[in-house]
Amino acid sequence: MADAGVRFENVWKKFHRGEMHDSLRDLVPALVRRAAGRGPKREELAAGDFWAVSDVSFTVRPGQALGIMGPNGAGKSTILKLVTGILRPTRGSCAVRGRIGALIEVSAGFHPDLTGRENVFLQGAIMGMPTADITRKFDAIVEFSGIEEFIDTPVKRYSSGMNARPGFSIAAHLDPEVLIIDEVLAVGDFSFQQRAFGRVRELVNRDIAVIMVSHQLDRIAELCSDAILLEKGKIIRHGSAADCITAYVLAPARTAVPAARSDAPVELHDLKLPTDGTVRSGDRIRFAITGTIAPGGLPSWVEGIVITVRSAQNGRAVFSTSTARVGTQLPDNGEFELTVGLQLNVPEGIYALEAKVWDRERGDSLPGLAGYLHVQAGTDFTGTVQMNPTMSVSPSVSVRSATG
Amino acid sequence: MPSEGLNPSDRPRLLRDLVEIGSDVWRSRDLLYQLARRDIRIRYKQAIMGLGWAVLMPLLIVSAGLLIRLAMATVSGSTLPKGTIAGIMVKSLPWAFFVGAIGTSVTSLTANMNLVSKVYFPREVLPIGTTLAQSFDSLIGATAVTLILAFLGVQPTLALGWVPILALLLFLLTLATALFLSCANLFFRDVKYIVQVLLMFGIFFTPVLYEPAMLPPTAAKLAMLNPLAPLIEGLRLAVTQGHSLLEPLTQLTKHGVAVVWQPWYLAYSAVWAVAGLVASATLFHRLEFVFAEYV
Repeated sequence: MADAGVRFENVWKKFHRGEMHDSLRDLVPALVRRAAGRGPKREELAAGDFWAVSDVSFTVRPGQALGIMGPNGAGKSTILKLVTGILRPTRGSCAVRGRIGALIEVSAGFHPDLTGRENVFLQGAIMGMPTADITRKFDAIVEFSGIEEFIDTPVKRYSSGMNARPGFSIAAHLDPEVLIIDEVLAVGDFSFQQRAFGRVRELVNRDIAVIMVSHQLDRIAELCSDAILLEKGKIIRHGSAADCITAYVLAPARTAVPAARSDAPVELHDLKLPTDGTVRSGDRIRFAITGTIAPGGLPSWVEGIVITVRSAQNGRAVFSTSTARVGTQLPDNGEFELTVGLQLNVPEGIYALEAKVWDRERGDSLPGLAGYLHVQAGTDFTGTVQMNPTMSVSPSVSVRSATG
Repeated sequence: MPSEGLNPSDRPRLLRDLVEIGSDVWRSRDLLYQLARRDIRIRYKQAIMGLGWAVLMPLLIVSAGLLIRLAMATVSGSTLPKGTIAGIMVKSLPWAFFVGAIGTSVTSLTANMNLVSKVYFPREVLPIGTTLAQSFDSLIGATAVTLILAFLGVQPTLALGWVPILALLLFLLTLATALFLSCANLFFRDVKYIVQVLLMFGIFFTPVLYEPAMLPPTAAKLAMLNPLAPLIEGLRLAVTQGHSLLEPLTQLTKHGVAVVWQPWYLAYSAVWAVAGLVASATLFHRLEFVFAEYV
């Protein structure tokens, strides 16, 4: 399919907050109001309405995988529903070409009283698979799900983890031209998740258009070439997956801490990373931070500059050091350049690099600078945490004789 | 409007909608089959009655009908006319079908809320699926009734050829009602309660337990205004009296000569069935894309 793919052009979608009128009693007044021409127009916001998606444009071509990320309620699932055709845009156009396969709510059609076998056929049909195809792929689907022995047991007797497995397996055997994935990779136990992810990777590599929503940022980093970052229905960043993940993870780092001291004695200007941000695991990197210290000199509450390496996947700090800990003195005033060297003993992934001024009194940092590093597999990687183990053995006085 | 922009066509919108509905449903025929199968399986799984379900409803209708007709015969000092049992038995089937199909279809969208809000497929298949599942029940019921009719000595005639035509019209009329009501119930949850009450009392306004000819002429005409009435009466006349529905039929009563059948009765119901289906399917189709927001 040369022209398969998804194209969104200035898409807006209006939702209503709170209750809609859902009994006949409420309809009559609403109709009267509309007839009198006082009701809201279709494309404008009325009281209680909001834009769940506003002015979103993007294109996904075959071979491209787009990750959509953002906090809860940012409009991610709404966009997927617009793609699949469950919703229609209030304004703008959504064009989708090609057979859609959606890894969304993979067991939504399961009926608890039916057996696994019956449900596979039902759910497959709901996902748009012809019955003949399901019959042909049935054995593969069951084998993938790993529930062969329970296939003729009613689904209500399945454990909740087992429940989603046949659903995912059916979805995994679709043959889509446009693949939509929404938070389904967290299904089943560890080994099933591995298998599911492998299957998704296989699908993504098939040169089809993929759109994926996940809070597992490492999955997005691995599968997606491009990404969009949403906030309150708007695209606030559209670029490479690594770029968007960093922006997403760094957003709280940049904004969360209020500037408690308005007259900051240290102002950080720039964080200069060596390359385009791509390095190898185990590499030694050097980067520079420039800043100015106010003429008054450093107050006692400034402990120094803290450097933090944060995993973009979970936002957790994997390493942290500071000028004070290393024993580097900042100058008393004027502009300065701080050069930092780090050996990146971290596994592959995307990492945020932060530089902040540490406030000793409040036990917190001031808003600082951040950049990101895309760490790729490297040969010098010697371990995540360096514990520098040393061991020695010597004969002990208190060792009892084995023959005693 | 993006939808118009994507689909430019010189055909009138109604025709375009109908073609779209037709192709949507045709493409979803496997899903339709699976959904109907699901409904049938669930009904017969873990149920003491098993296939008896399909016979229970017509059986109750027949018993009620016989009781009423017996009471009427007793009051007027006559006996139960021959053929009454067979007539009520034949008429109980279409009514049981209609009540069963509407009763399950009205909630077919709201009961599958999870699917409607999360998975894309033509939503028409849900009410059509429940109506098909009900047809299966009615086929079992029809088999049982055929056996009993043979036992009662009802002779097969050429007029039996009307049965498939009447069944088709009944199916279309039921489908039209099912599509409209399932859609209405999605937007207004009180619809299903109204439908319950209407179905409960509907049997008095539909000639199932009585024949319109038993009413005064004006009331008889009014009774035939119910689009179900000609289908139900036609079925009785064709099956138990071997009457060709192309011929009018009159009957001598206390009030004089009563018109029992006119050929255009059938046309009247057919217009209701076809026009009703076109109207409700189009309405359903045009509202379909907001279902996920309102469900």
